[in-house]
Amino acid sequence: MKSLALISVLASLVASLAHAETVPASPMRDSVTREQLVAMYRQASQNDPMRKQVPTKGPDPSVVNQPKSLISQSDTLCFNGAVTLVPKRAILQIPKNFEDRLKYVLGAKLMSWEEFYALNRGWITTVEVSRIQAEGNSPLAAETKKQLVKSKNLMIATYQGGPISVLAPKVPAEKSATTITTTPKP
Amino acid sequence: MKPLIPCIIAASLLSGSGLAVETITYANFIRQFQMPAEVAWDASSAVAANGSRFSELAINPGGARFDLWTMKSSSLTGLTEYLLDTSYVGTYVPIASIVIRSEDGSAAVPRTRADRPYFVDVTVDGLRSGATDPEPSKSVKFLKHVQSYGVNGTGIGIDRTQATLLTQSSITTNGMQTLTYSITMIPGADRSKIRGEERYSVFSLEDYQAPESQLASKYIQVWPVAEATITGIAQNELIRYSLPTITLTLTDLYPNSTTYAQVYKGDPQLGVTGTIVPGSALVTNESSPPTRTLTLTDYGSVLPTDGRWTIEAVTVTPFGTERVITPTATPATVTFDLDRTIEMNGTFTTIE
Repeated sequence: MKSLALISVLASLVASLAHAETVPASPMRDSVTREQLVAMYRQASQNDPMRKQVPTKGPDPSVVNQPKSLISQSDTLCFNGAVTLVPKRAILQIPKNFEDRLKYVLGAKLMSWEEFYALNRGWITTVEVSRIQAEGNSPLAAETKKQLVKSKNLMIATYQGGPISVLAPKVPAEKSATTITTTPKP
Repeated sequence: MKPLIPCIIAASLLSGSGLAVETITYANFIRQFQMPAEVAWDASSAVAANGSRFSELAINPGGARFDLWTMKSSSLTGLTEYLLDTSYVGTYVPIASIVIRSEDGSAAVPRTRADRPYFVDVTVDGLRSGATDPEPSKSVKFLKHVQSYGVNGTGIGIDRTQATLLTQSSITTNGMQTLTYSITMIPGADRSKIRGEERYSVFSLEDYQAPESQLASKYIQVWPVAEATITGIAQNELIRYSLPTITLTLTDLYPNSTTYAQVYKGDPQLGVTGTIVPGSALVTNESSPPTRTLTLTDYGSVLPTDGRWTIEAVTVTPFGTERVITPTATPATVTFDLDRTIEMNGTFTTIE
């Protein structure tokens, strides 16, 4: 009977040792509690590293000068299940029969201008303009103007192959002054 | 047979309408805005998906702003735009960059948890200090915004103009400086349930040709601390015969984490690695914290012997291995006694 008791004690010892091997201590910790977080927050709010810098004042520039929506600054070209965006005022001429191609069709495949133009050369013609012309500081070339009149395609102004907005030609100061003085006269 | 054909057609029509598949395509656009002329040039085709190159369009003395957009076209919701980044470049305007680092480097957008630290590296180059140099070349503005996503918010589609400007300071020296933040400052009464973002931006000073414009901006997302509740077994319950069904409710798991319930013999003890309860392991790799409810049955194989056992919820995140807490701030552990031994009390007699 004594030997049986000894065997059972040894067996339980071996079992407990085996159990200890399967549950080694790991660098586990308890998640932080709300109370601990409140204390951490109080301490952190007093040690803001930006306080060491020179403080400035003024309105929030990120609100005032946010970029406007891309969609609001673009015209949509959509045809045959494909769509792209070009800057507003980049379209120089829209023939009546292509007006519906400026409307987005739900689910059309978005692509860059380069990809879209490669697929739609049949009805889109590009006109390369200079930076000065795009800014309205120089009128479009006479040949380009003729092309605009003659072409039955949709005309897009491009700079180095990328669509660019073309501002209205600026009227020279002298001419504008003349216009102001002459306009009221009957 | 004839009535069967309309039935099949009707069934296919119904199933077709119920399975309206959304078709989505994306395209990236880079726009260069000349200042102050406001000429916009589409530079998307001139720039590869990765890398850098000089712009073909010369920048005016007023500078230019570069916007990087991603557009989405959906067959269900139409066009949606995402402004990824914007940066102003000018003749004498300094160059700035911001890098935000956290313990979780697995996401495209830096992210951390409401109780963890993070670091902001701000680098400014090109600042001048000459007496005749224009003011916008001598210093830049450094801003910190905070914005809460609200209860269960994910940050998708938020209006960032509604963010709160927490601090603004001036940087007047070139080089990199690292700001160490021990914890988020996003507003919220329950500090463990903060979900939102902190944004750091560098802006140029106003010039005669351009307003204060963004030079660099980055944000870090902050997600709440996970919680768990174990129901189905009461604390110190004596379980005889069949094991009850356990419900494991996991709330606000970290987006990139592995969570499970483990059992081990004895009373609760921090740091013990037990045996994972079958069906309780949950691996998440999402963009926002998920909440899941798991039902655990047939877990007798991990309770081989009778005695006192503890079951607890553990989560493994980029911040380490932690015993998850309950909403009442105690560790999500339940200790119970198991006694499945059937004892027969009887007598055995023989009659001769």
